[in-house]
Amino acid sequence: MPELDELEAKLDALTEADFRKGLEVFRGKLKSAEASYLNSCVHCGLCADSCHYHRAEPVLENMPAHKLDVVASVFKHNFTAMGRLAPGLVGAKPFDREMAKAWMDAVFGRCSLCGRCSINCTIGIAMPKIFRAARAALAAMGLVPSDLQATVDNSLQFGNNMAMTREDWVDTVQWIEEELQMETGDPEAKLPLDKHGAKILFTVNPREPKFFPLSLQASAKVFWAAKEDWTMASDGGWDLTNYGLFNCNDPQAGAITQHLVDAMARLGCTTLVIGECGHGYGSARWEGPEWLQKSYPFEVKSVLELMEDYIEEGRIKLDPSRNKVPVTLHDPCNLVRHGGICEVQRRILRKAVTTFTEMTPNRAENFCCGGGGGQLSMARYKARRIQAGSVKAGQIKATGAKVVVAPCHNCIDQLMELNKEYKLDVQIKTVAEMVAEAIV
Amino acid sequence: MKLLVLLSGVWAVLALACLYLNVKGYGKRILYSKAAGDPGKGVVYAFTKAMVPWAKESVRMNMLSYALGMSFHAGVFTAFGLLLAALADLGIPAPLLLLARLLTLAGAIGGFSLLGKRAVKAELRGLSCPDDFISNLLCSLFIALALGWTFDPSLAGIWMGEASLLLLYLPLGKIRHCCFFFTTRYHLGAFFGRRGTFPPQA
Repeated sequence: MPELDELEAKLDALTEADFRKGLEVFRGKLKSAEASYLNSCVHCGLCADSCHYHRAEPVLENMPAHKLDVVASVFKHNFTAMGRLAPGLVGAKPFDREMAKAWMDAVFGRCSLCGRCSINCTIGIAMPKIFRAARAALAAMGLVPSDLQATVDNSLQFGNNMAMTREDWVDTVQWIEEELQMETGDPEAKLPLDKHGAKILFTVNPREPKFFPLSLQASAKVFWAAKEDWTMASDGGWDLTNYGLFNCNDPQAGAITQHLVDAMARLGCTTLVIGECGHGYGSARWEGPEWLQKSYPFEVKSVLELMEDYIEEGRIKLDPSRNKVPVTLHDPCNLVRHGGICEVQRRILRKAVTTFTEMTPNRAENFCCGGGGGQLSMARYKARRIQAGSVKAGQIKATGAKVVVAPCHNCIDQLMELNKEYKLDVQIKTVAEMVAEAIV
Repeated sequence: MKLLVLLSGVWAVLALACLYLNVKGYGKRILYSKAAGDPGKGVVYAFTKAMVPWAKESVRMNMLSYALGMSFHAGVFTAFGLLLAALADLGIPAPLLLLARLLTLAGAIGGFSLLGKRAVKAELRGLSCPDDFISNLLCSLFIALALGWTFDPSLAGIWMGEASLLLLYLPLGKIRHCCFFFTTRYHLGAFFGRRGTFPPQA
């Protein structure tokens, strides 16, 4: 496989300076919390089945504690006295070519950074924090899988991760606007671009204009019905995604976040609204200020929170009988477990559909669909991703639902693949699509 | 022998303190994002409801291992209580002695069972390094000898010798989690509390 040849070539080309750089970056990512985590694992192994990779393929390499151990062994060797004095006793190992390869396999190839292991760890180790530090080290060594890095590079170069030109984006928005006008019968229904002083700057996942225009149209219909004062940026600052969250190159992640901050300043909006995207919400709401090392001078909200406000304030009225097909809800890890947006989408769905069935488990205990952590963009791990998604497929089947609502476009991509692979025979929709359908 | 135990205890405390200070020296992360929840409430949740057996799927699915682990830990704490009593030549009231015997018996069963599980289960064995076996063995023996001592005081010498070994080893291997369990759980609670995930809203 060309990807594997490329990886081997990159590993072969590593110099001592690269390893030193990697260790330096890794050490720089560790604060007292992470250092505590790295001193805590007791190898009880009870975390094993909290991981969807291990559920789907129960081998040692998929056990969260093992993945942690791969990274911790290097920490012990380089940053602890016992690791230096008695490495064999405590499992300390040097950071060399084979270890770098093991790190890649563990933190890129077998982890979607979903954090389910964190809440199931008997000690309470937030493992994704350590895996992110390891990814950052690998990024510094030039070992980010090339397709994941290409997604980041697109964002840096084009202002969106799918390398859409401004012309394509604007054309698509205008086309969706025409569709919205036809749907609503209102020639004044708009998808405003660059409206200075609008209250809300709405951001979307580029997959929407590219592959799921109905999703963007649904959000626009909700804004139209609520008579919202909103806009989108015609240039940098319309894409909410940030794969810097996954390659863990903080300067690059910060530069992508800056697109949003600049658009907010340029257009004078007061609230940045993140469309339905788990990692987009996590990046903009939680990590962005940390990457930029400064607080935002504006509010950040999920579009889900905004839609609930509309319902609560009576700005939109819903008729659930317009969505009679049984619905279940997928909890995107970055939105729910790591993002704290857990109940809003449920309250909305209860008002927008007639039959809503929870998956088991759900909320913070949800299983990752398998598409998180940048997995969707790393072709070399596709087979594992689809296999790990079998756990989510089983959850969906058990509900008997015909529609899976997923407030995340990365999850939607993965769920669509799972739909095909595991013959789920379901439709995958966003919350906005359900709400738009129910608007009266 | 008592002096050896005391000196080993002093070593353990000082070494753990050094480890703790070393970890603390990594510094605190300054956070710029606006909190959605209360880190304090998250910490309280992490140390209370999040620790009950039914709160974690990993525990619900492994109730036997959890029970063995709990009895192992109860045994360790009881054995340390007995060690303090022995060092101070304190008499132990009969009901308390009975309780201590039950707890150390359960603890020893728990400890040796978990050691056996680690040795027998391929996946767990693959995860383990020598420290995992040594730490468990030292603790399990310590509990078993404490139980033996309650029946036969002549075991005091060998028990205290073993206790000294345990205390000397404590900061060197994974038993250091007796300190870092608390800091780790604190950080977990603060992280998820700040993000509004802990305590659960539903």
